[in-house]
Amino acid sequence: MVPFAAAFGYSLLYSFGIIGVVNDGFTLEFWAEVFRSGAFLDALIYSVTIALISVFISVTAALWFTLKFQKKLRGKIVSFMIYLPLAIPGIVAAFFTVQILSKSGLFSRFSYLLGFTSGITDFPDLINDQYAIGIILVLISVVMPFFVLLFLNVYDNERLDQLTELARSLGASNSQTIWRVSLPVILRKTWTLIALYFIFLLGAYEVPLILGQESPQMLSVLIVRELKQFDLTKISEGYVVAVMYTILVSIATILLFSKRSTENG
Amino acid sequence: MFLEVHDIEKSYNKEAIVSELNINLEKHKTLSILGRSGCGKTTMLKMIAGLTPIDQGVIKLDGVRVDEIEASKRNIVYLYQEDLLFPHLSVFENIAFGLRIKKIKDHIVDDRVIEMIENLELQGHGSKMPHQISGGQRQRVAFGRAIITNPALLLLDEPFGSLDAGTRKNMQTLFLRLAKTFNITSLFVTHDLKEAILMGDEIAYMDKGKLKIYKDRSSFINDPETGVLAETEFWKQLKTEQF
Repeated sequence: MVPFAAAFGYSLLYSFGIIGVVNDGFTLEFWAEVFRSGAFLDALIYSVTIALISVFISVTAALWFTLKFQKKLRGKIVSFMIYLPLAIPGIVAAFFTVQILSKSGLFSRFSYLLGFTSGITDFPDLINDQYAIGIILVLISVVMPFFVLLFLNVYDNERLDQLTELARSLGASNSQTIWRVSLPVILRKTWTLIALYFIFLLGAYEVPLILGQESPQMLSVLIVRELKQFDLTKISEGYVVAVMYTILVSIATILLFSKRSTENG
Repeated sequence: MFLEVHDIEKSYNKEAIVSELNINLEKHKTLSILGRSGCGKTTMLKMIAGLTPIDQGVIKLDGVRVDEIEASKRNIVYLYQEDLLFPHLSVFENIAFGLRIKKIKDHIVDDRVIEMIENLELQGHGSKMPHQISGGQRQRVAFGRAIITNPALLLLDEPFGSLDAGTRKNMQTLFLRLAKTFNITSLFVTHDLKEAILMGDEIAYMDKGKLKIYKDRSSFINDPETGVLAETEFWKQLKTEQF
């Protein structure tokens, strides 16, 4: 907590020009400039959108796998296939994705060999693209297995197999059992972790750095870019973005846990 | 007969779990079934409820064959051994579950649930969550939730097995009252001799997947297999030793 508070204090002072090699003292100019340029807002909207889509698809797919194949998912081979992506670092997954989805990658070559495309330019942009397809695919592949394991665990602990049998015995159809029992029981137990994963993805760095486009960029990438500028007068703007991002994430986390403790209490 | 079960068979890995199962039960009657753990009681109930498929045989309810109908459409409710409540729903909503899925109007659901809560003597607990009430209260909620849907047949799988002696006695009294009030037809499975005798209009004994139904209480008591004679002898001997 102390190092975090110290780093935050340092960033805050830097953002107001109180410290910094080329700064001359307190000013609101850096904050005004960040708001004027709109870079923070663009990056925030871009990051929130990517994190939301990734979490939504991951959670939906993991729920489907869990409810549909919960018995098969406990098999040795399938378990191994779930655990494996968890052991692959994001940066490695991003490089794999470049090898597979780039214009000169594996899929592009197959597509050329099969006659679907006549050259590199015909293959669609799946990485460094405006829709962040590459980023979202990698985030899903990294996050979804975790959710499958989490949901399987809740499935067992909450005795969902018995609860679904009970619901059927009380007259619930398959879809009523899913919507009124399985989903509420699982999501009620896991929504905090899902929200935390959303916050975690909001700050993703390596994956969007490798697979993202030039502009807009995800928040972490934007912050590091600003902090490493050759123009030293711009560094303070990087700290402004970092401070705003930290405040936003801290507020979200506090709200999350205060709501959780209210529910538990 | 209201419930007719003919020659039901069930095996797992070639091992017979239930064989030659035959039951005939009149409407608004309770058949209590005594049996030790692992004798096939739960499998028998789950097959009648449609939660476990049967290998062969016929199940009829009020003259209609139901063994090929899916569980949710049989109007047979299976009550678990444990006080299994939906953890995300309050006591009120747990009881209302069966009515909500039938899309009954809210004001009717409210009236019926409030009435059921009174019958279960659970006034003031409606808004509580399952983890905020005791084991006995949870089992009452499970009862209420099963009965409120007005099932044609109620299957009770050792419903008081996890309760202490005092709570168990209260629950037995409650069940007998509710069975009378709501004209319940039920199969009541238990491993407790006294409970089997108290709860059933008819009594049966299950052993190694085979069910034997007794024509009256005395033939059940006099059959050495049921263990009633041994139990009586034990208490008699204890009394003789003491005095």
